[in-house]
Amino acid sequence: MSRFLFVVPPLTGHVNPTASVGGELLARGHDVAWVGHPGTLAPLLPDGALVFPAIDDRLEAEIRAKRQRWLALRGMAVLKFFWEEFLIPLGHAMVPGTRFAVRGFQPDVVVADQQALAGPLVAKNAGLPWVTSASTSAELVNPLRTMPRVDAWVRGLLHGFAGGDIRFSDRLVLVYSSKALVTEEVGDEVAFVGPALTHRVERVGFPWERLTGGRRVLVSLGTLNGPAGERFLGQVLDAVADLDLQVVMVAPPRPAPPNVLVRPAVPQLALMPHLDAVVTHGGHNTVCEALAHGLPLVVAPIRDDQPTVAAQVVAAGAGVRLTYSRARAAEVRSALESVLDEPEYAAAAELVRESFSAAGGAGAAADLLEKVVAG
Amino acid sequence: MDEVLQQVAKMIAEVVGPDFLPVGEITRDTTFSDDLGLESIEFVALADKLNAHYGVDLVAFLADMDIDEIMAMSVGRLVDHITARV
Repeated sequence: MSRFLFVVPPLTGHVNPTASVGGELLARGHDVAWVGHPGTLAPLLPDGALVFPAIDDRLEAEIRAKRQRWLALRGMAVLKFFWEEFLIPLGHAMVPGTRFAVRGFQPDVVVADQQALAGPLVAKNAGLPWVTSASTSAELVNPLRTMPRVDAWVRGLLHGFAGGDIRFSDRLVLVYSSKALVTEEVGDEVAFVGPALTHRVERVGFPWERLTGGRRVLVSLGTLNGPAGERFLGQVLDAVADLDLQVVMVAPPRPAPPNVLVRPAVPQLALMPHLDAVVTHGGHNTVCEALAHGLPLVVAPIRDDQPTVAAQVVAAGAGVRLTYSRARAAEVRSALESVLDEPEYAAAAELVRESFSAAGGAGAAADLLEKVVAG
Repeated sequence: MDEVLQQVAKMIAEVVGPDFLPVGEITRDTTFSDDLGLESIEFVALADKLNAHYGVDLVAFLADMDIDEIMAMSVGRLVDHITARV
């Protein structure tokens, strides 16, 4: 049996795939541990999961406050803030805890989320093999390739941090998607395993008795919001008030038409089988979870990888894209009617679902990780 | 008012939607990053319009810039680039 250490940032979407792959490794009898922010990890990991702290509650609160400021930024300032104020400082902050976890747990392999830069740095220094858990497929093809000087700036920051570009392992990059969505050429180290959804833990309750018959749509902008999110959700409420469907909206409480159930959080995976379509900001996990259930999408990307993920969905024919900061109720309504009423969208989503299912999910990821140990 | 500026302002307003941004509010000092907050799909649409109208390659223009120059990129700078090229 082998020992696997997952290094993750304090972000739900980045922890979730590792919860599934780690759960699969545990089920196979391996020893598994996580290093990150214990408070973020606890609700997402199986009971009794071994967690090493690398981020305390104070730092996590600072990171959340920073993300609030970051939400107000636009354009290139988002990228600058992301690298200078978030990713590199987080990398530095996580080094001591990650080093301690590596010494204490003695892993055979370090599995680092692509936004946990401490993982590759500590593993490299300890002479351990490390692999990447790519929580989005959007950066496999460098999104900065058309801006060489910006790209060089990012590489310079990485070089200063770790002496090299450690965003992706050259041994193994686990990608929770498939070639049905990512059509560009990628290296041999990249493994498309599809969404990792088994062994996932959802501890959020849901009033199942309030689901009505007929068609149902989930509206979720992920954990990010801000004023532009409020505007978008308002347009969605106007768009669906007269439609013959039930909407589950993930948002803080607000006045809503009778066919809208507003919940601050939902057990998203458990809800999927009860849905007909999903409206989302294009977070990689939400999009792939929806497609894993053959659900067509309306995607209104906000920032980061989301425009790329939205473009993947549109290219696959599995959904319609909206402009997040400017879409009006009429456009939201027409996009929803398209994905619900025109069968091509659901048929395309079904093709992606089949490709995901063939990719093998957490089981395939665990097979590959076992091979890394075998050498 | 400068003819190129007027034309570029019109294209930006078309891309963003005139409800959000009346043409008259776009000046030489308007920045793409902070003032306009162009989304990536809008940026691509604007690049297509500029290419069709002036044969100017917006992506190539930005390729020479570093991150601070891109953040500070203004409508005026694009107008000067077009004027110099056309």
